[in-house]
Amino acid sequence: MTPLELIAGALIALGAVFFIAGTVGVLRFPDIFCRLHALTKADGLGLGLVALGVGLLAASPGAVVRIALVWFFVVVASATCSHLIARHALERARRERS
Amino acid sequence: MKTTDPATDRGLGADTPSLPAALTVIPEPAPPAPPRWRRFLVAVLVLALVWAVLTEFQPDAWVFGGPAVIAGSVLLALLPASPGWRLSPGGALAFALWFAVQSVRGAVDVAWRAVLPALPLRPGFRHHPLRLPHGAPRVMFVNTITLLPGTLSAEIAGDEVIVHMLDTRADLDADLAALEARIAALFALPQS
Repeated sequence: MTPLELIAGALIALGAVFFIAGTVGVLRFPDIFCRLHALTKADGLGLGLVALGVGLLAASPGAVVRIALVWFFVVVASATCSHLIARHALERARRERS
Repeated sequence: MKTTDPATDRGLGADTPSLPAALTVIPEPAPPAPPRWRRFLVAVLVLALVWAVLTEFQPDAWVFGGPAVIAGSVLLALLPASPGWRLSPGGALAFALWFAVQSVRGAVDVAWRAVLPALPLRPGFRHHPLRLPHGAPRVMFVNTITLLPGTLSAEIAGDEVIVHMLDTRADLDADLAALEARIAALFALPQS
């Protein structure tokens, strides 16, 4: 194992830890809003660390660009989606009240 | 469930103390929005380039990518034009570095809360006035709130954003004022 592979492996493992923590949050947090925090933030960093690790092992510069693009779009989409889900949940809470 | 109810929390003045006068964005005329056909062409070019890079320029991938690029560009051209904007290169670099640190802090914070046996949460909603100009700066602000430690943008209500917090004891207004100042620098907006 080269030092580079060791660093990459450590980054990927750390990313997996954040994915697991995010999932634990989804299971343990009391309501939909708190769960969205866990999903967007922990999974975003988890994917970032996995992407960084995989990027270190990538064979070509093109692959690095692709991995970075995938991470970027996932983070932007997850922030936007969680906003839409939270907005819908708030609207529903208001409807049920009236 | 100790959640603050969003419906009763709304309009509760005691929750929104006077805001720090850290940032006043002078409403100056934004650069004019480009015409519809040019927005369509730019979208086609950018989306096609992204798809080509993602698929390693494989021709058969266009079976999926082509329709998606056209559909996305048509949607963008149909939506009302948002005001134009420009980026400041220095502000963008500073913002990217700061944002990387903040998103790591946010993820560590939420991961820690999730795995601690005591489940340290005091969730609730807060209102924050939107002081940045319409268009890209506001979209950037609302999306970035979600990736900062402990905050999630839940709804835009007029000129206010409703923020969900994991711990309502945190100083939301100071954190968001700092974010506003950084986004103003990113978009080269004049600040006083």
